[in-house]
Amino acid sequence: MNKTYSVVGKNILKLDSIEKATGTATFTCDMKLPNMLCGRVLRSPYPHARIISIDTSKAEALPGVKAVATYKNTSRVLFNTSATATFTIPPLVPVVDQYIFDSVVRYVGDEVAAVAAISKKIADEALKLIEVEYEILEPVYDPLEAMKESAPILHHSTESKNVPGEKIHMEMGDIEKGFAEADRIFEHTFKVPVQKQAQLETQGAVAKIGVDGSITVWCTTQTPHPTKRILGTIFNIPYSKVRVLNPPYIGGGFGVRIGLSAKAEPIAVALALLAKQPVKVVYDRKEDFIASDTRHGGYVTVKTGVKNDGTFTARKLEGILNGGAYCSWSTEAPGVLGAMGLSLYYCPNQMYDGHSVYTNTTPAGAMRGFGNPQAMFAIDSQMDIIAEELGLDPLEIRRKNIMRPGKPWVLPYPCLSSGLEECMDKGAAAIDWGRRGKLNTGDSKKRRGIGMGIGTHVSNAWPFCGDYSNAYVTVQQDGSIHLATGIPDMGTGSTTALKQMVAEILGVDFDKVKIAYADTESTPFEIGSHASRTCYASGTAVVAAANEAREKVLDFAAKTLNTPKEDLDIQDNIIFSQPNPKISIGLDETALKAHDQGHQFIGVGSIIPQNAPPYLAQFAEVEVDIETGKVKVIKLVGANDVGKAINPLVVEGQLEGGLAMGIGYALMEEMKYDSKGKQLNTSFEKYVLPTSMDITELQTIIVEANDPSGPFGAKGVGETGLVATAPAIANAVYDAIGIRFFEIPLTEERVFKEIKKSGIK
Amino acid sequence: MEKNILKFKLNGEDMELLVTPDETLLDVLRDKLNLTGTKKGCGKGECGACTVIINGNAMNSCIIPAMKAMNKEVQTIEGIGTAGKLHPIQETFIEEGAIQCGFCTPGMIMSSKALLDKNLSPTREEVKEAISGNICRCTGYVKIEQAVLSAANRMKGKNQVGEGE
Repeated sequence: MNKTYSVVGKNILKLDSIEKATGTATFTCDMKLPNMLCGRVLRSPYPHARIISIDTSKAEALPGVKAVATYKNTSRVLFNTSATATFTIPPLVPVVDQYIFDSVVRYVGDEVAAVAAISKKIADEALKLIEVEYEILEPVYDPLEAMKESAPILHHSTESKNVPGEKIHMEMGDIEKGFAEADRIFEHTFKVPVQKQAQLETQGAVAKIGVDGSITVWCTTQTPHPTKRILGTIFNIPYSKVRVLNPPYIGGGFGVRIGLSAKAEPIAVALALLAKQPVKVVYDRKEDFIASDTRHGGYVTVKTGVKNDGTFTARKLEGILNGGAYCSWSTEAPGVLGAMGLSLYYCPNQMYDGHSVYTNTTPAGAMRGFGNPQAMFAIDSQMDIIAEELGLDPLEIRRKNIMRPGKPWVLPYPCLSSGLEECMDKGAAAIDWGRRGKLNTGDSKKRRGIGMGIGTHVSNAWPFCGDYSNAYVTVQQDGSIHLATGIPDMGTGSTTALKQMVAEILGVDFDKVKIAYADTESTPFEIGSHASRTCYASGTAVVAAANEAREKVLDFAAKTLNTPKEDLDIQDNIIFSQPNPKISIGLDETALKAHDQGHQFIGVGSIIPQNAPPYLAQFAEVEVDIETGKVKVIKLVGANDVGKAINPLVVEGQLEGGLAMGIGYALMEEMKYDSKGKQLNTSFEKYVLPTSMDITELQTIIVEANDPSGPFGAKGVGETGLVATAPAIANAVYDAIGIRFFEIPLTEERVFKEIKKSGIK
Repeated sequence: MEKNILKFKLNGEDMELLVTPDETLLDVLRDKLNLTGTKKGCGKGECGACTVIINGNAMNSCIIPAMKAMNKEVQTIEGIGTAGKLHPIQETFIEEGAIQCGFCTPGMIMSSKALLDKNLSPTREEVKEAISGNICRCTGYVKIEQAVLSAANRMKGKNQVGEGE
């Protein structure tokens, strides 16, 4: 049963929303500093080439140009733009394969040079004056091709040709025995597309160099502290002299800037060092599309052994992902694909093998869901194939096989909570599951169908990479509370949720808590926002800090009131004895008394989080126009076990946004290339993502299976919204027209072709 | 480059400044007047983050030459309400959870205002159409549409009170 709280679980309005609604919220692109220059980047027109010569003299001579940066006059320290290299768990070694600029370019859009000038116009003019001579090298675009002996080598790899970092292998039980026990074995390969985060604010950074050599960078990163370390390393500056902060808002993230914001930060710093003036680098939309991380596309193969009653006996999963030109998150994404792919269902004998492959395409990195949507499109599409072959209801075959607390899985942490079955039942009721298969009568050109998909995810990044959090809480002399945590707030309500936790524990009004965040100078080390971790992992640190402060307050108050500490509680800013509430003292009075005696109540939270599985079940009703191939989502239901909704309105927002992005992944969005390695989708007109006209009814259902490891029982929620949207929609399309798709997105073109092939009329 | 005098009314105030022919209205707002509430998401009129209201119509300021605003009335997000005195659309966007990262919000509110200034009883379809040129990647649009519908009701209520007085 859920405990009653006074602040947690309430729809406290996000304070940032007032500034955002009135246009006073500041983002990196809004920054202006005295004497600030505009930085612009020259990018490679070729997918793979060596720079034979580069002449910047004409650009440097242009009036108004203050610096031109190339590989010849900038840092030669290798790095990884993603934060992963800052918390790779030994004995694994971080993959560092990028310079700010290199003498070899590996994808169309790769950085060749940059200019800082007094205006954007002059900087753009100067870029045209840089003369570069290239030796064209052979490119490769497909991950399967790039593994072949004949393919060009993009980077030195220790493990296998063009494979960044380690290959991932996981197993449990005896896979051969499991397949031998099966009545039926199913094997299918699915192809998944490259999706783009398409966050509304493009990558950006403003860098300023101090007289003591310190650097300050305002930027769009989701992880200020790890970014500080990356920059300190690249420029060989003590970390203590690097300050990274958001100003304080970020126009969305979805994983695209976990670590650096593409290369905006190091380019801005390099130019600022050369020009000795502050420099602002803001990518235009085309640069953001072609030269900042994408979701991994690739291939997922699922082989499943089942008994005739639908019980799994063995499952083998394989993922081969297109990592693009540089590693970024390409060692971790295949790990999450495998771990989530194996752990959603219980199967005693299971195995995963997966890895990424370098190709001459835009680097793939982190995007909401991180390998998991790729796994789930394959796994939960196959689930429906198996159900149909065995004559079972897709809902029931899932119910039979889902992971349940107490059962073993490949993950190194236990499954302590699951609201998955409740999600399935509530979602099925919301879509009216009984209508499935019975929606089409007559010969309408528009066919309806219902489908489902389920999923799980993580609540922080461990064990895929390191994870820990620090926070501290100080009680002010008037009893108000200051919280310091290094998280950013991308608009996901993190700062509001963490303040709610602190207010709850210290028994104060929400408005009395002020939070310092998104700034490395005022907060202790904290990884930041990724892996659905902020509420769960950062929240655990914040709760620990608040609890320590509370203990100190109560120790002091117990002496003041001459009452046993165990009897005391704090509510509405008053410390009181529970057996005798008349024995009480204000938190303000207590804090001031302590201050007069030379003491402040300080609570520090330093935690290494466990992990916990959020769960979800999604149900889609679609309409397929068999004359055009257009798939319209009539209704999408997302039932989600979030552990505990700290702020239900914020949770709904996360889930709805995830569902919409999932519709894009399933039906519309794909980054494509021409035969010369050039991206075809470089603007919002050419990369079609859902608008208000594409989204009909989204229904979110919150299920709260409190997890004992999470703050107030909470689990991750930021990514779960889109984990199973693609299979839910693809299964609904199958219900509507009887065509199984092994590749997404289900664009009109793709669906129309298959309808023609199948002869449906 | 040759400069021209641009005269227009901005958020109710008369403005007069020198602009070059290649400057967009967005450039003038953000860079010359420091009104950074209006955002640049694409620079090509494809995302709606730069939406302002010109003579009552929602327009993408990133593709409008500044001189086109000559003698016109321009409204930006800064002109419709402040923290202490919010416009009903701002109020409902905040209350309904329609704001996440906030980058699309000013444009979204201006498109909504252009609609509600003309039609205080829009259907959900009409709301969808009014904001169809504004991309939001965070919310899935549902809460935004609800906020616009709620704002319409609130504004209608206020108008009726006003009429009764």
